[in-house]
Amino acid sequence: MLRIFVIVYLVLAGHAMANELPIGHVKNVSGEASITTGEKKIKAEVGSPVHQGSRLETGKKSSMGVTFNDETVMSFGADTVFTVDEYLYSPNQGKLKFGSKLAKGSLNYVSGVIEKLKPDAVTVGTPSGVIGVRGTQFLLKVEK
Amino acid sequence: MKTLLPRSAKSTSKPLTYGVLAIATVTLLGGCAQQQAYSVPGGCCKAPIEEAPKSYVVLIPSPDGTVGEIVVKGASGEQVLNKAGQAGTIEGQALQVDDKRIKGDFGDTIAALPKIPVHYLLYFSSGTTLSSASNALLPEIIAEAKTRPAVDISVIGHTDTLSSDAYNDKLALKRATRVSELLEAKGLKANSLIIESHGEKNLLVKTPDNTREPKNRRVEVSVR
Repeated sequence: MLRIFVIVYLVLAGHAMANELPIGHVKNVSGEASITTGEKKIKAEVGSPVHQGSRLETGKKSSMGVTFNDETVMSFGADTVFTVDEYLYSPNQGKLKFGSKLAKGSLNYVSGVIEKLKPDAVTVGTPSGVIGVRGTQFLLKVEK
Repeated sequence: MKTLLPRSAKSTSKPLTYGVLAIATVTLLGGCAQQQAYSVPGGCCKAPIEEAPKSYVVLIPSPDGTVGEIVVKGASGEQVLNKAGQAGTIEGQALQVDDKRIKGDFGDTIAALPKIPVHYLLYFSSGTTLSSASNALLPEIIAEAKTRPAVDISVIGHTDTLSSDAYNDKLALKRATRVSELLEAKGLKANSLIIESHGEKNLLVKTPDNTREPKNRRVEVSVR
């Protein structure tokens, strides 16, 4: 019985995520790229929305650029898996957080407003640990 | 392990020991097949390196030219990167990577970086009436928006601290709504447009409560 409850909860949570407002949008795609939010996987195209919880993937010889609502800008190279675990951008309520993870592939990251307003609110996880970001641009490559 | 290090590595300063150990290990395991792909600062490591770690991070200047900071925490420790070009492994070790390799590894990724967002500040002569200088900025905002693929816009209203929180929340929303109407009337087309009110909670110029401050009576337009 407990197991059934858990599954129902996950399905509902998936729907809830998809219905939330986008936190960013795709600005460019070259080759194959997708966005998976909850149970739903879409082909990434210019203008496609990204949500909290979205998993962004690129294929071989592919790339994708995404700009988030707080003006954080990112691009991903080939064979990348990147997830946005937590994204809170409500400056008037003091809710500011951007937690993400690069499981594999490459990332070019340019800071936005969240970390200007709240240093230490932005982290990018890697398979080996975590990177805390304070107002800058960096390149990250994760390959197993 | 330490006795196996190349002699030149012993002169390296202490913070770099982890990196040297890693390099020494790679060298010993992998032989001397290639020219060194990266080196530890200080002129050590003349021995050829098989290959640099596959995973690494490099700090580069922001588009505005400033250099911030990242803190890399991993299994081997914690490393702060705060200089342009400074690199590290994702385990938290120091590392130096040559430009050629960075270009090879990240060329396509860097090329895919979207245009950096810009934002504009618009001011009000009274209520929801834009100042003439701010009114004249509207065509510039629309022109900028047209240069971007699937442009996303946020229009965020602010007030000064005169009057109550509740009143200012509404006034800021009215200002933002007015600006978005003006932009749309002048031909703005956006992939998404968000209208927000920050009321008196996000002051440009910090003031006490109940203070008139024209610089705080503004609308921000973020063009992404």
